[in-house]
This record gives sequence, C-alpha cells and structure tokens, in this order.
Amino acid sequence: MDILFFVISMVLFASIFIFLGYLGYKKTKTVEDYFVAGRKMGALLIAFSYGATFISAVALIGFSGIASVYGHSILWLAFLNVFVGIFIAFVVYGLRTRKMGLSLNAMTLPELLGNRFNSVKLQQASGLIIGIFMVAYTSAVFLAIASLFQVTFGIPYWLCVVVFTLVVGIYLIVGGLYAVMWTHAVQAIVMLVGMIILMVGIYTMLGGIGPAHEAAAGLTPEMLKSIGSPAATQAPNGLTSMPPVLSQPFMMVLTLIFGVGIGVLAQPQLITRYLTAKNEKALRLAVPYGGIFILLMTFTAFSIGPLCNVLMYQNNIMYPTKEVAGVMVANPDAVIPTIINELFPSWFILIFLFAILAAAMSTAAALFHTAGASIGRDVYEKSLKRKISPEKSIFITRIATFAIVIATLIISLNPLDVVAYMTAFFFGLMACTFLAPYTLMLYWKKTNRTGVWVGFLFTIAWYILIYFKTAPKIIGTPLVGNYMINMLDPIFIGLPLSFLLTILFSIIIRQDKDEETIMKTSFENI
Amino acid sequence: MNLILGMDIGVFIAWIGTLLATVLCILYGLYYQFIKKSDEKQRPTSPKEQDKTQEEDL
Repeated sequence: MDILFFVISMVLFASIFIFLGYLGYKKTKTVEDYFVAGRKMGALLIAFSYGATFISAVALIGFSGIASVYGHSILWLAFLNVFVGIFIAFVVYGLRTRKMGLSLNAMTLPELLGNRFNSVKLQQASGLIIGIFMVAYTSAVFLAIASLFQVTFGIPYWLCVVVFTLVVGIYLIVGGLYAVMWTHAVQAIVMLVGMIILMVGIYTMLGGIGPAHEAAAGLTPEMLKSIGSPAATQAPNGLTSMPPVLSQPFMMVLTLIFGVGIGVLAQPQLITRYLTAKNEKALRLAVPYGGIFILLMTFTAFSIGPLCNVLMYQNNIMYPTKEVAGVMVANPDAVIPTIINELFPSWFILIFLFAILAAAMSTAAALFHTAGASIGRDVYEKSLKRKISPEKSIFITRIATFAIVIATLIISLNPLDVVAYMTAFFFGLMACTFLAPYTLMLYWKKTNRTGVWVGFLFTIAWYILIYFKTAPKIIGTPLVGNYMINMLDPIFIGLPLSFLLTILFSIIIRQDKDEETIMKTSFENI
Repeated sequence: MNLILGMDIGVFIAWIGTLLATVLCILYGLYYQFIKKSDEKQRPTSPKEQDKTQEEDL
C-alpha cells in the first residue's frame, strides 16, 4: 500500500479527533462537564464509549493471537465479555453506581469510595493505584499498535508511539470527557466496519461457519507443527475443542478468561461511563447497543484467531515469529496482521489499520482521562487543604493528564512484552483491589471504612508481591512458562480474600455516626 | 468425538452462549424501550433535578 496515501488518511483521521477535541473544549464549562461529560450522555454514546474503552487493540490483536494458540476454548471469554461485561455490568452495577454517584456528587471511582466511606485518604490511595498501574496497561496498548505498524509498513516503533500519543493527548487534555466520548463514537464505527469485513472475509475464504470450524478441527498437531504454530502443543484436543481439564493450556485459558472476564466489573475507566448517563433509561438502553458491539468485537476476534491456522496451512504461510534473547519464538501478536497482509486486498489493510488504531486510541484516551483524573482530582486536589475553583480543578487535572501522557510515552518507548498478559494482569489487579469494596458499597449497607481499608491494603500487597514474582518471567520470555501458575493466585485467591476481609472487618468494627449518616444519603435514591 | 458446527460441546456452549447473551441484552433493551415505564420521573436523583423539583414545588 502506498505509504503517502496512508499518511494523508492518517492526517484526516487525526484532524477529525482534534476538531472534536476543540468542540469538547467549547462545551466544557463546569467540573462535571470535564469529568463526566455533564452527565448528559444518551444510550448510544454511552454504549459506544464503554465498548470502545473496553475493547482495545490488545483485545483485537493480542487475544486473536492467543486464540490462535489455544483454540476456540477462549470463546468463553467472549461469553463473559457480553454477559458479565455488558449485562451484569450495566444492570447490576451501572444503575446503582449512577444513583449513588449523584447522591454523593462523585465523578470518579476513588471519589465514590472516598465520599461513601468518608475517607479522603481512601480516595487518594485508590487514585494513586489507578494512576500508576494504568500507565502499564496503556503501554500494552501501544505495543499492540506498534506490532501492527511494524508488520504492515515497517514504520519505526518510536515514531508511531510519539504521533499516536500527541494526537490522543491533545484532544483529550483540551476537550475533556465530551471529546473522549464523541471521538469514541467515531472510533467505534470504524472498529465495527473493520471487524465485520474481517469476519466475513475469513469465513467466506473458508466456506462458511461449519466448514471453517471443521477445517480447524481437522488440523492435526503434525499439520500445525509444519507451519510452526504453537497450537500443535497448546491445543492438545484440537483447535475447536476444550483442552484437557487442569492441563497447562486449560489453566492458562482459565486465567485469561477470569482475569479479563470478571475484572471488567471493577475497571475505573468503565465505571466512569455509568456516571455520564443523563438518566436511568439511557443506561438501560445502552445494554443492547453494548451487547451487539462487544459481540462483533470479541466474538469475531476470538472466532477468527484459531481459523488463521487453517489459512496459514492452506496458503503455505509460516506462523509469525520474533527473536527473544537470540532465540526465535512464536509471535501470536503478529498473526492477524500477517493474515491481513498476505490474504486481504490493500484497501482492507487500510480499513483494518484504522480500526485497530481507533481501538487503541479510544482505550488510551479513556485510560489517560481516568488516570489524569485520579492523580489530579483524587490525589493532588484532595491533598490541598482548601477549596479551589472549578477552573483550577480542571487545570490541575489537565496538568496531571499531561504528566501521565508523558510518563506513558517514556515507558512505551521501552516497551514491555506480551500484550494480552499485561491486559489480563491489569484487569486482575483492578478486580482484586476494587471489586469487593465497590460491590459491597453498592449492595451492603453495613460495609464500613475499616473493612474496606483492610481488604484494600491486603489485596494490593498481595497482588504487587505476586507481580514482582511474576514480572521477570513474563517480560521477554516465550508465551508459555510458569506465568499461569503465578497468575492464578491473584484472581482466584486475592479476590475472594478481599471480599472476606472487607465483610469480616465490617462486621467486627461497626460504622461510626458520620459513616452511618453518609450511608443513609448514599442509599436515598436506591 | 461428536462435533456441532465443527466444535466440541464445551466450545459450542461458549459459542451459542455468547449469542444468547447478546439476545438477552437486546430483549432487555426492548423491554425497557417499549414495555416497562420508567419510574425515574417520580424519584429525581441528581442534586440539580432535586433542586429543580423543590423549586417547582415551591
């Protein structure tokens, strides 16, 4: 494809977002406008923004690649993405979150926790955790994009990252959440177009759903080995079958499915979307739009991943590899880009590039906004002992967001490896740390500050300890290692323990008078 | 091994389950769009809405 044509298209693409950023700037008059888009968003915008935030380039490229290794068993994650990530998230969590957010005048998850439990320190600690770890997740998003651009154009990684960060940073910092949500709508449409064409294209090449899956089922380990696919060993029962129970591939799939599938409920950047709804009906009507969007994203990505093995086998394409410490290893992140490059027309390469770019930009913008709000509003602003004007509050968050963008840029220029695992790690961390206090805060009136603090501190310590034990093994190593044994701990032990400790200490130590009064206010409209 | 649409039963349940979960989301939306009447008008929730209602009451 002509690189000049791509550059011109890219400039046009970026110009639309910068323009929307300008419109967001003009529309932003109050603190509520900057942080929660004035609480005026309708169903379609909420659904598109939630979906575009949820589905990053990591989900589309990284998890398609993982599916090419472990087969269709990863479709369980698509099921959880729709059922838990949309239905349970909006119906069980979203509606109450919005009502409680209004009662407590909260605009971020840390603020919701801080106001609900009458603790500025809790708000600051939550904000700090979110701000720090979101940078790691955002760097994973950058890696997915770089992988695609390197395979397709050979564009230097650093150039891609710098341009990408600048564009997102400008429209986000200037336009606030209005700009973020409007650009999400445009990006979601581009993602939909790209994924629908990709799905139709691959299934058409393989003769339809049944024949495509049968062809995948018919690939023997020897056939997979002949193209260098790691599925030869990692999908022992075949690409369209579940791996043997408790085998290493089974546990790996289980870890990814639960880390991401359940972790989605406690993602601060997604929770913000509930707070933007103009009314309850907007949230309820976002459910079908969101369900369809996520279906077309994750279901498509996870379905076509394993089928790429069939296409590679039929077309004599070798499974992509990369060099790690002088050894060539399988590179699942490059599977989808390779298939598109080899088997699709050049016009589609452009569309798909923009779809992936849109997925990465939308997620990065939401992460930057949430991380900036966490550091600016929840940490710094709360450390000031005096009241500040709304203008100054927005200014502080803009500066904090700028700092987050620069920090991510620096880390991304020294990229971490294994995109999908980093995402699972981030989702797992958020689930471990926030899911218990968030759930109990919404549904159990006796939850108190002490219980939340104990659960919160214990799980952070637990997760970080596991991280430092695990990180050296996942950075720069092949896909399968001891990683899954380590990663099983945080989500399967940390999360239940977090619930247990929060409940236990809430029972042992009772709420004080102030907490009780705030609790009553919180549940006023529920 | 019996395959349904080329998938074993464990994978097929995930496959069909994803589609059914989407149908559930659509039915939920249709229910609240066309059948269930919203009760939020009777219970203003935002501070602004509450102020507005109080002003109207006055």
